[in-house]
Amino acid sequence: MKRWDSILLKVFLYGLPAVIILAIFSYSYGLGKHSQISDKLTLLNGFVGLTLALWMLLLIYLNIRLMFSGSFRNKVLARITFIKEADEREVMLTGKATKTTFLTSLAILIFLFFLSCFQVSFYRVPPEKAIDGKTRVVSLNFGFNLLKASRKGNPDETMQKTDIFSYTRLPLSSTGVILLLILWQIISYNFSMQRLIKDEHRLR
Amino acid sequence: MSKCPPRLKMTNRLHVLRAEHRLTQEQLAREIGVTRATIGAIEGGGYNPSLELAFRLARFFNTEINAIFSVEEEK
Repeated sequence: MKRWDSILLKVFLYGLPAVIILAIFSYSYGLGKHSQISDKLTLLNGFVGLTLALWMLLLIYLNIRLMFSGSFRNKVLARITFIKEADEREVMLTGKATKTTFLTSLAILIFLFFLSCFQVSFYRVPPEKAIDGKTRVVSLNFGFNLLKASRKGNPDETMQKTDIFSYTRLPLSSTGVILLLILWQIISYNFSMQRLIKDEHRLR
Repeated sequence: MSKCPPRLKMTNRLHVLRAEHRLTQEQLAREIGVTRATIGAIEGGGYNPSLELAFRLARFFNTEINAIFSVEEEK
């Protein structure tokens, strides 16, 4: 890891509490009535905005370094995920735990993909729209878009219908899914590691 | 069709040698360059060391690998 990266990382971490305080100040400034705000506060708010912008630039730089610098990634992510590789046994255990984490994450991703493609709805249609006198309809759909496309008007949706039950795609935002997967990776790795160490003790 | 080879079980005399040299697991681990847990795992049979580590242990105790590690067929 470069010395420059190490310094920037420390600035990022130690500056985090200050940035949170500044963000709260900026938010409360935004809530205030502009007629009551003094020039000094406005100047301070400008400084806060500049600081936040610089901190965000730093965040982008560190994220890019995480992707492209192996040594930086090893140092930072190994610390965040509590990876220990003090000797060959720990390297072997890490490998096993990582394999378990990789496979379970893949299984979760496949499951989430399935959930995001699948749509099911039970609904009632007005008697005049009923087919063979049946007013209850079950609708199943399966499909996916590689790119975010604007939804075109579906003739089914314009029809007057009363939903009984409807599941249309994953009820989580993409940010939520990514955050859950990050947390899952850390939890799964540490859980697998603990289990492997316990198994080792059991063999004794 | 070829028969499946019998499984081999590794046993070792590491705890005996360590006791003979009056060393704690921590001291041996420091000398060999591994963690105390690894020495404990080898002694307990929970972990089979690499050839490199086995040679390092043999060299440290001034003996042959065969004098520390042996194999027997699992029943």
